[in-house]
Amino acid sequence: MQKVTLTLREKNRIPIVADSITPDNFAGLSDRDIEQIPVWHGNSQVFLGDIFEVVVDGSDTAENVVIEINGDVSRIKRIGQGMTAGEIIINGNVDMHCGCTMSGGKITVNGHADNWIGCDMRGGEIEVNGNAKYYVGSGYRGDTTGMTGGKITINGNVLDFLAEHMSGGEIHVKGDAGLLLGLANNGGTIIVDGDATMAAGEMKKGLIVIKGTVHEMLPVYREDGTEEFNGETYRKFTGDVNIRGKGTLLIK
Amino acid sequence: MSELIIKNAAVCDPLNGINCEKMDIAVKDGKIVESVSSNADTIDAKGKLTMAGAIDGHTHCAGKINVGRLMSPHDMRMNPVNGLSGLQPATSVTRAQAGYNTPNTFALGYRYSKLGYTTLSEAAISMMAAKHTHEEFESIPILDKWGLTLFGNNWQVMNYVRDEEPEKLAAYLAWGLRATRGFGIKVVNPGGGEAWGWGKNVTSIDDEVPDFDVTPREILVELAKANEDLNLPHSIHVHCNNLGKPGNYETTLDTMKIMEGIKAARDRQVLHLAHLQFHAYAGNSWREFESASTQLADYINTKDHLTFDMGQVIFGPAMTMTADGPLEYSNARMLHSKWSNKDVELEDGAGVVPIVYSPKSFVNSVQWAIGLELALLVDDPWKVMFTTDSPNGGSFVNYPEAYSLLMSAKKREQIIETLPELAIDRMVLPGIDRELSFYELAVMTRALQSKMFSVDTIGHLGIGANADIAIYDIIPDKIDAGIEHEKVKQALSATSYTIKSGNLVVQDGEIVSSPRGKTYWVNASGRVPSEINEVTLKDIQNNFRKYYTVAMSNYVVDDHYLPNPIEINTQEA
Repeated sequence: MQKVTLTLREKNRIPIVADSITPDNFAGLSDRDIEQIPVWHGNSQVFLGDIFEVVVDGSDTAENVVIEINGDVSRIKRIGQGMTAGEIIINGNVDMHCGCTMSGGKITVNGHADNWIGCDMRGGEIEVNGNAKYYVGSGYRGDTTGMTGGKITINGNVLDFLAEHMSGGEIHVKGDAGLLLGLANNGGTIIVDGDATMAAGEMKKGLIVIKGTVHEMLPVYREDGTEEFNGETYRKFTGDVNIRGKGTLLIK
Repeated sequence: MSELIIKNAAVCDPLNGINCEKMDIAVKDGKIVESVSSNADTIDAKGKLTMAGAIDGHTHCAGKINVGRLMSPHDMRMNPVNGLSGLQPATSVTRAQAGYNTPNTFALGYRYSKLGYTTLSEAAISMMAAKHTHEEFESIPILDKWGLTLFGNNWQVMNYVRDEEPEKLAAYLAWGLRATRGFGIKVVNPGGGEAWGWGKNVTSIDDEVPDFDVTPREILVELAKANEDLNLPHSIHVHCNNLGKPGNYETTLDTMKIMEGIKAARDRQVLHLAHLQFHAYAGNSWREFESASTQLADYINTKDHLTFDMGQVIFGPAMTMTADGPLEYSNARMLHSKWSNKDVELEDGAGVVPIVYSPKSFVNSVQWAIGLELALLVDDPWKVMFTTDSPNGGSFVNYPEAYSLLMSAKKREQIIETLPELAIDRMVLPGIDRELSFYELAVMTRALQSKMFSVDTIGHLGIGANADIAIYDIIPDKIDAGIEHEKVKQALSATSYTIKSGNLVVQDGEIVSSPRGKTYWVNASGRVPSEINEVTLKDIQNNFRKYYTVAMSNYVVDDHYLPNPIEINTQEA
């Protein structure tokens, strides 16, 4: 077990790109080593030690590394990008691209997350105990394959374009979702406990369950009877018929 | 000035008839010379394979590639070929690099150099976008460039063809080459691009182009004749009608046959067929789709008036980009893919569609085989130019993969085994055991280009040639490319040394300096009588007044767009 505690020295206004904050990078390193890892602050390079107070307890391999980040990191991007193991706990709000392309381990955000959390995710788990903004669990711009594995749980609401181009894994939003969730999906499961607007256009494959109200249902789905999901009965829709999709949309 | 001597090189230089012989090469002031003084810098090649810098005679490196970049931001991160794709940070010598099929301009320059390439021929300059093409040329470091200008769907060309005014046609072509600072005449789906403006296409060389009362046959023949009248260094460079359609090989054969009577003004072909693989399909539908490479190769083996390039397909993601607008529309519909379409006023169109060639797909597998079949079934390597039509068939960074396929029957066999059975039935590749030698590879990647583009200073290592040299980490007589194909592929993927105009640019696979390249253009105006020139100019001005959205003064590429020009004047030749 290795515990790394990062405490923000001073809230930054100019964004910091901190894709180096991962258990994989920190495994086996001392506080001195971690303080000297470079990050970009705007257009200049600084070191993690300039941004955070670093305290390290123990030394271990990536899967046994726990990173705790304290302070308002709402202008620090790409935390946990590409991580394969271990755990990151963020006690505060976090900026864009948190957990992007991660393939293992767990990220917990005890605050709100910005756009693109868990984008291009391959595996592992993300839990946000607050709201998240746009493009949660989506694919990179231009790519037709987004999230392919892992699980994202948002305990609050999300904004538009949840899980665009998703093709595997699971996303559970306990609050409401915005416009056009699950756009151009090709697999995976999305569950929204609250309401959503214009859900699931151009879906090829996959399952979307909306327990609340769907506003402005897109006229591209064929109604196909009813289906049970987790003990509850839903109206079942199949589509997007425009692209001969075989996706399933379950609505109350 | 600067002097350099390369010692103990195993030189493979087909234009001078040298086949992997051990010799020294002396370089002075960017040229290859007889000898140098004892103060010269020395490179000990230690018996390694040494060739002239390679020339990519058909690549999409500036212009339309930008539409591909806009459509595929994710391409920036793609990294299927280690060291030659993906994100690479800046160094003290290089700018930052990104991308795979549509890399940034810097990456294009550096990565081509690492493969031993020193000259590129951009396959299509859209006349109206020529300024932009030259701006992109300027940002591609190290390499020399030229571009072929699109004329096959141009209103003024078609009008002159219909009105049987060959002199004015030649005058317009000369003006167009000067206005775009182009190198030669490119014809893409003649007539089809114009028909696409009406949502139509042409399906044979004898279909009429809507509203113009001409046929692709007439456009092709008249352009070929004018090309020779102007004494251009390159022949017409043709992308035939019906690209990518089952059964299109008959159109391709027709196109080759109508050029038999054209007299070449120089010692070269009168027709170059681009990416022949895409035009070598038999069968009446996709279900019946099969290779027609035998039919085409049989014809090509008996004729001497043409050359072609392979347009080899590489399995994996690629980006199709062409002036063939209607083709890209059908691609996009068939592949359920993104589609970008361009209409270039009076001149032509264009389209860009991403594609993935999958070895599980029967059609893609047969396409993969056809490129290789054409190169191996045509006996004379002096008719076959090596290309993947980058990035249409696959990115240029995969060239070493394709080289090793041409050089190793064993490697082909290993891949064929994994392809769908239906595909194997429809190809002829499994029966071909020919393996290319390094000498033949040097013909297809360097020597032939020098001849077919009539540029005698590149593509060889004789005295007086530009000192564009590639040294690969292979001892030619100590390797059996048929068996050690993986080793050959690795060695051809990164040179030990690339020398561009006498400057060392790559050492051990890393860029060590990044000089600016030059841009070739062809000035044929001296072949046009001034009175013809005057009346033609009136027609051009009239078109600008009546139809174009830009003024002629804003259209023509000025001198300052070419900071390092090489003008080829066809009057002198």
